[in-house]
Amino acid sequence: MSAEKRRKIEPSEIRPAPRPAGLVLDAQLHLLDRQVLDVDGVPVTTVDDLELSGPAPDEPIPEGAAPPSITALLTGPVLGTRIFGGRPPSNRLIRIPWDVVSGVDTVITVGVRSDSLEASWVERWLRNHVIGRIPGGSHDPD
Amino acid sequence: MILTDLLGSDVVDSKGERLGEVSDARFALDSAPTQLLSQARLVGIIVSPRTASSFLGYERQGMTQPWPVAQLLRWWHRGSFLVLWEDIAMMGSQEVVLRPDYVAYESGLPR
Repeated sequence: MSAEKRRKIEPSEIRPAPRPAGLVLDAQLHLLDRQVLDVDGVPVTTVDDLELSGPAPDEPIPEGAAPPSITALLTGPVLGTRIFGGRPPSNRLIRIPWDVVSGVDTVITVGVRSDSLEASWVERWLRNHVIGRIPGGSHDPD
Repeated sequence: MILTDLLGSDVVDSKGERLGEVSDARFALDSAPTQLLSQARLVGIIVSPRTASSFLGYERQGMTQPWPVAQLLRWWHRGSFLVLWEDIAMMGSQEVVLRPDYVAYESGLPR
């Protein structure tokens, strides 16, 4: 980065922000790293990233273009990239479509059961292949 | 587009002068509801001249307690502002470019 680029300029005037009509969410504060619960209150995963509907990177945005929206919550193996930087490739991230999200609070709730989401595949695999083979592990506790 | 690619990017004005880094992205649920919730449209990006990180959003929520922490974080994030989607000319892989007549808005969350 050149010395000229490192020099920061600040806007001359900061105006009061317009107030959107609906709920306002800041991604880092209200969405990222939040726990996701399914319709029965069963933990599903945490939100590691968000998928937006646009814009295309490095392409000029035409004036009056419709704003992008969140298309999915993403979860995946991010521990390594949190420590060393970068992010996992897109195909390693599992999507939870925004259409199934039913509420955003201290936790994010989805309106479907955890079993119908790809995000819980590890838990299902362990249940079927490990827990289910332990004697007494294939039925509810009496 | 994936949000992490945007967070932490440099923000420059139309002349290439650096204004800061993308500290957060603001969304609003104000369109017609679809199945369960409204679509979350991008309102704009929060630009912080000093740091892309944020701690519990102290500086955006008007929190004043504990007093020393609130003062320190407010000072650290001084000069943060919101740029609306309409004023963004390009979102690149390295930097976000604003339009020539962009307007800076206060970054505080509506209460």
